[in-house]
Amino acid sequence: MKKDSQRGYFWRQKLAPWLILLLPICFTLWLKYYPILKAAYISFFDYDPISQPGRFVGLENYLTMFRTEYYWESWTNSFVFLFLQMVMTFFIPIIQALFLNELRRMKSVISTMYLLPALIPTTINVIVWRWVWHPDYGVANQIVQFFGGQAQTWLSDPSLVKFCIIFPGVIGGGINVLLYLSAIQNVSPDIMESASLDGCTGWKRIWHITLPNIRYIIFIQMIISVSTAMQMLDAPYMFAAGGPSGASTTQGIYIYNSFNKDFNYGRGSAASVILMIVVMLMTMIQMHFENAEKE
Amino acid sequence: MKKSKSPKIRLSKSDLSLQIVSIVVTVISLLLVLFPFALTISNAMKDNTKIYDVPPKLLPDSANSLQIAVDYTDFTGSDAELETVLQEDMVSSMFGIYTKLNRDSIFETKFYGVRDGQTIFYARAHQSQLQLEKDYGIYEGTVLKKQTLLYKDRAQRAANIIGYEFSPDGLSSHPAPTGMQDGMQAKLQEVFEKKFPLNGTLAACDTKQNNWLLLESFVHYMKLPNYMYSKNETISRFGFWAFVGNTVIVIGFAILSQVFLCSLCGFVISRLLPPKAARFTLLFFLGAQMIPFASIMLPQLIMYRNMGAYNNYAALLLPFLYPYGFYVYLFKGFFDRIPGSYFEAARLDGASNFFLYRRICMPLSKPIISLIALQTFLGNWNDFFWAWMVTELQELWTLNVALYNISNNVSTKQNTLMGISLVTILPVILITLLFSKQLKASIMSSGVKG
Repeated sequence: MKKDSQRGYFWRQKLAPWLILLLPICFTLWLKYYPILKAAYISFFDYDPISQPGRFVGLENYLTMFRTEYYWESWTNSFVFLFLQMVMTFFIPIIQALFLNELRRMKSVISTMYLLPALIPTTINVIVWRWVWHPDYGVANQIVQFFGGQAQTWLSDPSLVKFCIIFPGVIGGGINVLLYLSAIQNVSPDIMESASLDGCTGWKRIWHITLPNIRYIIFIQMIISVSTAMQMLDAPYMFAAGGPSGASTTQGIYIYNSFNKDFNYGRGSAASVILMIVVMLMTMIQMHFENAEKE
Repeated sequence: MKKSKSPKIRLSKSDLSLQIVSIVVTVISLLLVLFPFALTISNAMKDNTKIYDVPPKLLPDSANSLQIAVDYTDFTGSDAELETVLQEDMVSSMFGIYTKLNRDSIFETKFYGVRDGQTIFYARAHQSQLQLEKDYGIYEGTVLKKQTLLYKDRAQRAANIIGYEFSPDGLSSHPAPTGMQDGMQAKLQEVFEKKFPLNGTLAACDTKQNNWLLLESFVHYMKLPNYMYSKNETISRFGFWAFVGNTVIVIGFAILSQVFLCSLCGFVISRLLPPKAARFTLLFFLGAQMIPFASIMLPQLIMYRNMGAYNNYAALLLPFLYPYGFYVYLFKGFFDRIPGSYFEAARLDGASNFFLYRRICMPLSKPIISLIALQTFLGNWNDFFWAWMVTELQELWTLNVALYNISNNVSTKQNTLMGISLVTILPVILITLLFSKQLKASIMSSGVKG
């Protein structure tokens, strides 16, 4: 009898939670952790989809990949995309939120309008902007020519294609504006009040009080933004399919091409593994800097 | 509504300039945000010629409706022969006007067959309808000429698709126009004399402005999938709705599975596990979400293919079957704040874990459930690559995949494309505007914690 109740206690307190979690944990292992391990495994083989896994080649996939210029170009592209994203689009939602917060009226209506870009899927964004960049009929060339510039070929120009892909982000808006806005509104009113008593108003208040107080959320958004920029796949693929002459081939597209075009699963897996390591490392380094700054 | 009465404080110079700059920046931002919409709407309403105008115009031209009456009083032959002749004339005049008078913004052509001053034949076609027939229908890949238009039974088929009314005794419901419009008459006669000769004689013509025709274009834009993928049974039957249905299935499944799995995991982590194990489990789930999609798409594809989850719904739905770490984290944070006394009281009464989850946590967590549902929707509304990789069958395409494929088809016209895009996002925008208050509240609440 006593033993029974003890077992019941054990059952309820110790084992039951894990039993409930069993399915979610198994599915996570199966759908997320297993594939990345599998990628590491495949990367050591000259993978053959028919008689899996094919011939063991050790590190050869990695070594040949490192020797090809195309691979390093795709890394350069990824970093250029990252740089452009940080310079051109990352700060715009912050600015929009800061100034939105200063408005006296219509705040709610305007913040709803800022939400609209979040609802446009990338596919439709690409449809719209491909028309904007169209060399013959697009708006972009009209504007350039209006200011006396030369007509460009935009998406077909290897030196401009990255700019064209990132540029749609400058309209800003989206969920980030709301996140920043809520962070700004959550800055304690006491701080604001005491600052204004000390004569810290207007621009000074924004610079010295508001911005430092929302630093944390800006930082989080930056980590997310860096890691998504490194994984960029949809937009460059839809805009230019990695072209022209590989100028918009990011890591994601490189991986996709290596198994879809070249049927080289081993090399694709090797690139997958390297990409994951780099993304993790970058996130960790950023976190480390933030922690160091806090202390 | 209480009006906030702020006591009049004199603004300092810095404050004033900040105010002005804020208004200017916000107005510019709003214009930028609205720019893609304006471009989409204006292009969707232009016709197939005007979209290529340089410089592009912001406002579309107004739409014209052209009515022509053709006289057959001199025709000698049976009624059946007359019908065939009328069908041929209708098709060749409609397509003739469509190709030759493309600069006149004629969105609608009405064709009246007249005998002894009585209307015996009436047909009407919208410009986009003719466009679809030309690009994907009966006249796909043909140069429009009199001979090609009427080759074999093509004219009959085209006439039947466009639709017409014929009665030798007269159609009283469709009075034919009378009188000639000078400018139009000359143009029409040129068309009919040179390339598209008619059997009857042009008796009357008239143009009217009717801007509703611009909106009617959208009805025909939405038929594009039916035409483009006419060999596919499902799509030729359901058209655009097939893609909408797939998207609803995928996103609906994602929302259901995420709400259920994440709330369950959040509940267990928050309430049942000892702190150390809870931390570890949470990290386990969060870590899974950190793995970049680009890194696992290849092994995932191999794995799914081996399982047979390729080119079917399993491939589309399986990736949502594990709990997303961030949502688990949000649920855990929410359940942490439910007072512990609720659970203790229930436990003393002998409640099971299932009861605690079902009867205590769930009823309290309406706000968080709506937040997760919303986040899942916004997150997956954009999903493209995976769905694109695993679906070869057209009837499995989600909206994004379908739009991408349609946009990459060479013969798709930009106005059609923009029209379909607009129709795709319009419902989502309307819902957003309708629920904007709740939406913003839930987004903002998630941000503070994160």
